[in-house]
Amino acid sequence: MIRVLAIAALLLGVLPAAALASEGGGGLINLDRSIIIQGINFLLLLLILGKLLYKPLLAKMEERTQAIRKSLEEAQAARAEAQREREEHAGKLQAAYAEAQAIRATALKEAAEEQRRLVEGARAEAGRLVESARNEMAQEVTRARQALRQEVVDLAITAAERLIRKSLRDEDHRRIVQDAIGRVEKVG
Amino acid sequence: MRSHERTARRYAKALYDVAREAGATEAIGQELEQVAAVFTGDAGAHDVLTRPWIKPADRRGVAMGIAQKAGAGKLVQDFVGLVAERGRADHLPEIVGAYRTLVDDELGRARAQVRSAVALTDGEKRALSGKLEHALGKRIILEEQVDATLLGGFIAQVGSLIFDGSLDGQLARMRQRLARG
Repeated sequence: MIRVLAIAALLLGVLPAAALASEGGGGLINLDRSIIIQGINFLLLLLILGKLLYKPLLAKMEERTQAIRKSLEEAQAARAEAQREREEHAGKLQAAYAEAQAIRATALKEAAEEQRRLVEGARAEAGRLVESARNEMAQEVTRARQALRQEVVDLAITAAERLIRKSLRDEDHRRIVQDAIGRVEKVG
Repeated sequence: MRSHERTARRYAKALYDVAREAGATEAIGQELEQVAAVFTGDAGAHDVLTRPWIKPADRRGVAMGIAQKAGAGKLVQDFVGLVAERGRADHLPEIVGAYRTLVDDELGRARAQVRSAVALTDGEKRALSGKLEHALGKRIILEEQVDATLLGGFIAQVGSLIFDGSLDGQLARMRQRLARG
């Protein structure tokens, strides 16, 4: 930048002098007192340009440099923050995944246990039902046998009663009574 | 039913004590049986003596009148009047039974109710009485009743003791044995 300003100042200083020389017909630069004025002009111009243009320009450039640096730093920080958050999220995700795995494993274990328990319960219940049915069947058979036996006995006794009633004569009654009297001793 | 019997025993005991003091337990018992037979046989008298809305004094009067007509003495008339007055006329059959038991105990005898398929001959009655007397150690009075529903033989009951000498009993026992297998 300084170099540009120097070239600009030189041109501003030399071009009027060269013009003056061409008007006088004496060449590009006349070595007379005008050169001193030109020199002073040049210095004044250099001073004014430096004051009004160069310093603000430098300040502006510095400001922009700072802004860019700040932006870069912020970007760096943001990137680092993003990285940290990403890592944190990854960690959380990992933890959540691990937790989900653990929950799944627990659920599977519990489901297997429940299934085993249900199967065992169902097996036991089935066993009980079978046993109960077997018992009921046995009781039913016993009852049926008993009922059949009772019926046969009733029929036989009823038939015997009819037969006895028909066939008993007076002497039979007498004999039965005497037999019974003979057994009275067993009363006590 | 138990309280019915207890009440009857109380009345019977009271009458028995008075009759024993008078030395006429058997005679009083016979009079009481006659009066009870009239009560049991006469539905009208039974109704009058057991209805609670008839005044106790009237019931007493009616009962004493019936007892007098039945030929009962003063003691039995008063007793029956008292029983009717207290609304216990329906207890008379049980009172008679309880009184009879007291007298029988006093005289060392027992009554055997015998149900038989055919009427027992005198010899059979004597034999049965003898056997029961021997078995129970008491003089036995047989009260025989022919029961046509019995197949054969007899059933004798003395108090709570029952001797089953009937064919029906034998068949029933056989039925149980066969049914048990």
